[in-house]
Amino acid sequence: MRVCCGLTGHLELARRPDLYGKPVIVGRWDEHVVAASEETLPFGVTPGMAMRQAEHLCPQATFVLPDEEATDRIRELISASLYDLAPVVEVRGEGIAWLDTSGVAAPGASIRDARHRLLKAIGREPRLGLSPGPFSARLAAARARPGHLLRVADAREFLAPLPSRELPLDAEQLERLDLLGLRTLGAVAAIGPRELESQLGRDGRHAVQLARGLEPDHLDAWRPPLFTSAHRQFEEPVEDREALLFVARGLCSDLADELGLRGAGAKHVRVRLELESAARETRESVVRHPLSSTVELFGLIGGWIKEWQPSASITELWIELPVLEGAGRRQLRLWAGGDGTSQEVEAAMERLQERFGDGVIARVSFA
Amino acid sequence: MQEVALETAINSIRVRFGSQALTRAAEMPPPQPWSSGTPVDQLTGIGGLPRGRLSLFTGSGTSGKLTVALSLLAQATHEFAHAMVIDGGGFDPWMLIPFSPEPGALNVVRAPAPEVAGEAAATLARAGAGFILMLGGVPEHWLGPLESGANRSGTVLVGVVDAPNRALAHASSFSLGFSRHDWIWERGQLVGLRVTARCVKNRVAPPLGETELEIRYPLGTQTLTDHRVQVTEVIDGLEPCASAVV
Repeated sequence: MRVCCGLTGHLELARRPDLYGKPVIVGRWDEHVVAASEETLPFGVTPGMAMRQAEHLCPQATFVLPDEEATDRIRELISASLYDLAPVVEVRGEGIAWLDTSGVAAPGASIRDARHRLLKAIGREPRLGLSPGPFSARLAAARARPGHLLRVADAREFLAPLPSRELPLDAEQLERLDLLGLRTLGAVAAIGPRELESQLGRDGRHAVQLARGLEPDHLDAWRPPLFTSAHRQFEEPVEDREALLFVARGLCSDLADELGLRGAGAKHVRVRLELESAARETRESVVRHPLSSTVELFGLIGGWIKEWQPSASITELWIELPVLEGAGRRQLRLWAGGDGTSQEVEAAMERLQERFGDGVIARVSFA
Repeated sequence: MQEVALETAINSIRVRFGSQALTRAAEMPPPQPWSSGTPVDQLTGIGGLPRGRLSLFTGSGTSGKLTVALSLLAQATHEFAHAMVIDGGGFDPWMLIPFSPEPGALNVVRAPAPEVAGEAAATLARAGAGFILMLGGVPEHWLGPLESGANRSGTVLVGVVDAPNRALAHASSFSLGFSRHDWIWERGQLVGLRVTARCVKNRVAPPLGETELEIRYPLGTQTLTDHRVQVTEVIDGLEPCASAVV
């Protein structure tokens, strides 16, 4: 496994790029600090401490209320933008983005693109680390300069001198480690998992595995949502087929952009016409190969509209994609040359078969 | 003010008909060659058949144009994920065996009518099929979508017709005219033919001239698959072409 980690700072801070470079503390009054900018670190502010204490330590900071919804939206956007760079991508609200680059043909290019996309999304250069697992990759990234990559070949060797406070343990467990004299990850790695388990419970065994660079944790891969649609309501009922085609092309283009962002393709396509007579006409089809580009979507939907004989004027056009899945376009970078196009050609052949019958395409076999 | 209006008009055309409908000349890339490894490459002037353009092989029956096209097709099956034949009638895949094709990459569109051939060619070119061999013509109104689709995806388009109509000839960027000038006999048996391939139109480079090809058929008691049809160039030197007219 080769995992790249990009550290961007908490996504709550990314909501206010205008405050970059200033001390910012995010949290609700009478609660705990959710996120704090790097500029507050010299004053001793850390996430998790009481807001009152943070205010006491750094009164000149700008205090911002958290917005979980907005942060989730940013996280989704970053996940979607990184999705085609590696088979497994995980982004956390704390500002950590992991990409498992195992099996990627050009990992260097993926990492470069990840850096650019994180910079574009957050507005700040990420710190990057590349290591055999997510834990060591995160620690490597934390020690890299902004916009630079720290590459780790041997995780155990890299982790050994680092403080044991980097382990994902609660304050009490960390204090216990300190009392045991286990102040570096090297010292934790040297102790047997059972010994530490007897002191800290299951977390102790886990901590030893992390300290030894065994990377017991797996990434929680982000997957794109499974449904999308686009529609247009006409001010005046439409009868002109050309106008309908024009609108359909625009909707297909919007959907293709969205699918591209999500790295998904449509496996099921449904077109719905709302008529002036309050009736509704629908046409739908399950396609063998996921459609993801404007050409593919409009190739199918445009063909339907050209033949459609609606019983009344049309007041609304809906294009629904009820079943999405990883498309040929999905994670295109990970494919061998021509694979992405190959999917589009397969889809084109399928459309021709739908129009002219299965016999129109013959696959050649000399057997 | 005029510039703003022009920009608006350009944008509306792109929105209405797609981003490729109107392209600035400066944004248009030069044609990229697909090197087939056959003597035809030299005649194009760019070292291979132009990607995204229509190349035409013309000539009367038994002039060797189909044999050369089939050798290109067989080569394409090894290099592209999808090599397509748009068959207007009469294409037999077994004709390809002497050229050792990769059958997994080869698909044949059986087009019962020119309309189907036109739509299939345009759809597949737009989707990005690597190589399309069209046996027969396509209706004039499909030539525009075919050209723009191929241009966008870089498909290598080769058409084989006896005599192209005016629209097809106009749509092609590169045309080779084939004519047989001799049969090859050995010990009283017909073993092949000698043809002249002459560049009659070239939009991608100066028209380079003509060359002589020797096409030798398999003969004897060996099975068909043991043989390869040989297409060899007889004359290395290229003579300047007098004209490049359609």
